[in-house]
Amino acid sequence: MKKLKEKVAEVSEKVSGPETTQNQNGTATPAGGPATSGNNNPRNTSGGGLISTPPDVKENLTSAETSFGGGKYSEARYAVQQAMLGVELEIGQAILKSLPQTIGDLNYETAADQVTSTGWGWSGLTIFRKYTKGDKQLRFTIANNAVWMQAINLYFSGGYAQQSGGEQKWKQTKIKGLRAVIEYEENTGYKLSAPLGQTSLLVYEGVNYANEQEFMKAAEQIDVDKIKKQLGEK
Amino acid sequence: MKKIFILSISFLSVLFASSQTEFKKELAVARTAYAAGKLDDSRTAMQQMLYDLDMITGKEVLKLLPLKMGDKSANTKSDNVTSASGFLGVIIHREWSGEKKAEEGSENKNINLDIISNSPLITSINALLSVPFIGNSGGNKVVKINGYKALITKVETGNDKEDYDLQMPLNNCLITLKAPGVKQDDIIKYATSLPIEDIAKMLQ
Repeated sequence: MKKLKEKVAEVSEKVSGPETTQNQNGTATPAGGPATSGNNNPRNTSGGGLISTPPDVKENLTSAETSFGGGKYSEARYAVQQAMLGVELEIGQAILKSLPQTIGDLNYETAADQVTSTGWGWSGLTIFRKYTKGDKQLRFTIANNAVWMQAINLYFSGGYAQQSGGEQKWKQTKIKGLRAVIEYEENTGYKLSAPLGQTSLLVYEGVNYANEQEFMKAAEQIDVDKIKKQLGEK
Repeated sequence: MKKIFILSISFLSVLFASSQTEFKKELAVARTAYAAGKLDDSRTAMQQMLYDLDMITGKEVLKLLPLKMGDKSANTKSDNVTSASGFLGVIIHREWSGEKKAEEGSENKNINLDIISNSPLITSINALLSVPFIGNSGGNKVVKINGYKALITKVETGNDKEDYDLQMPLNNCLITLKAPGVKQDDIIKYATSLPIEDIAKMLQ
C-alpha cells in the first residue's frame, strides 16, 4: 500500500510540480514551485500589483458639484465619498509621518505602515504602524470608528466587572491623561485601548513585553495630543 | 385633503431648497478648508454634504411613493426625512391611514413605510434571504417584489390575529413595510405598488 502511494505521488509530481497539497476534492494546488497548476493553467508569479492612487479630492468635489447641479444625486454622493476617502488617506499619511520611528529599541516596519478608509465617515479611518525587534513587537492602531467607541465605553460605564474568576484580565488605567483599558492574554500579550475625543480610539498591542510597566512606558512614547489635534478631536 | 397635500408639497419644497443651499455652502467650506490644508475641517464639511444629499434624496423618494395603498390614503402631514441617531443614515417615513372601523377598536391600523439608509439590520436580513431554508422557516417567508427579494415576518399580536412585516434590503437601504391587520397577500400587494426600481436608482 505504501509503495503504491509513493508511486502515485511520483506520478503526481511529474504532472503538477514538486510541492502540492491535495485539497478535499482531489485537485492539486501548488504551494510554491513552478508556475503551473495541476490543471495546466498558468499561476501568476509576476506583476507590479495595483498602483495606489488616492482619489483626487479637488476633482471629486468638482464632479460632485456638477452631478448635484444636474440632479444626479447618487453620482454626487459617490463623488463626495471619493473625495472624503482622499482626505482621510491624506490625514492618515500625515499622522503616520508624525509617529516616532523607534519605540525603545524597536524600529518601525515601513512596509507594515497602513492607512485604510472606507470613505463613509461611519466606518472611518484606520491608521496602523508596527514596531519590531526580534520577537518583541508593538502594534499601534488609530481608529476613527464610532462603533468601536461604543464597545470600549461599556468598560467605563461600570457595566463590566474588573476581575473575572480571580484573575485580573483587564483593568482601567490611564495613558497620557486619557482613560484607557488594559488587557492581558497569555497568547496575545498586552492590549491597551484608549478613546480619544468623541470618535477616535487608540489601540496599543504589545507582544513579549516583560511586564505591564515596560509596555506602558513604550506606549507613552506616542504623542497622543498631536494625534488628537490632527484628527480634529476635542 | 387636497389642501393638506398642497401644503405638504410646499413644505417639502422649502426644505428641499434649504438642503440644496446647505450642500453648496458645505461644498465651498470643503474646498476652502482643503486648499488651506485644514484636512479635518474639509472632512467634516464633506460628511455634512453627504447628510444633505441623503436628506434631498429622501425628499425625492417621498415624491415617488403612492398616495393610496389599499383603501388607505397617504397621511402626508406625517411624511418625514430625518437623520438616524446611532449610525450615519437617514430615515424616510410615510404613513397611509383610513377611516377607523368599529371592529378595529383603539388599535392603530396605519400602514407604515420606513426606508433607512445604512441600517445595521441589512446584513442580517441579507443573510436570511440568501439561505432559503432559514429564510422560509418559523414565521418567515422569502418573497419577490418586482424582482427584488424581501422577507415577510409574521408578528404575533397576542389577540388571535396575525400581523405581517415586510423587509427588503435595497443597496445600502432597508425598506420596512408594516401593515397591521392585513393578510400576507395584502401586504405583498401593497409592497408591489411601491416603485422599487425607481427608489433603487435614487438610493444607489
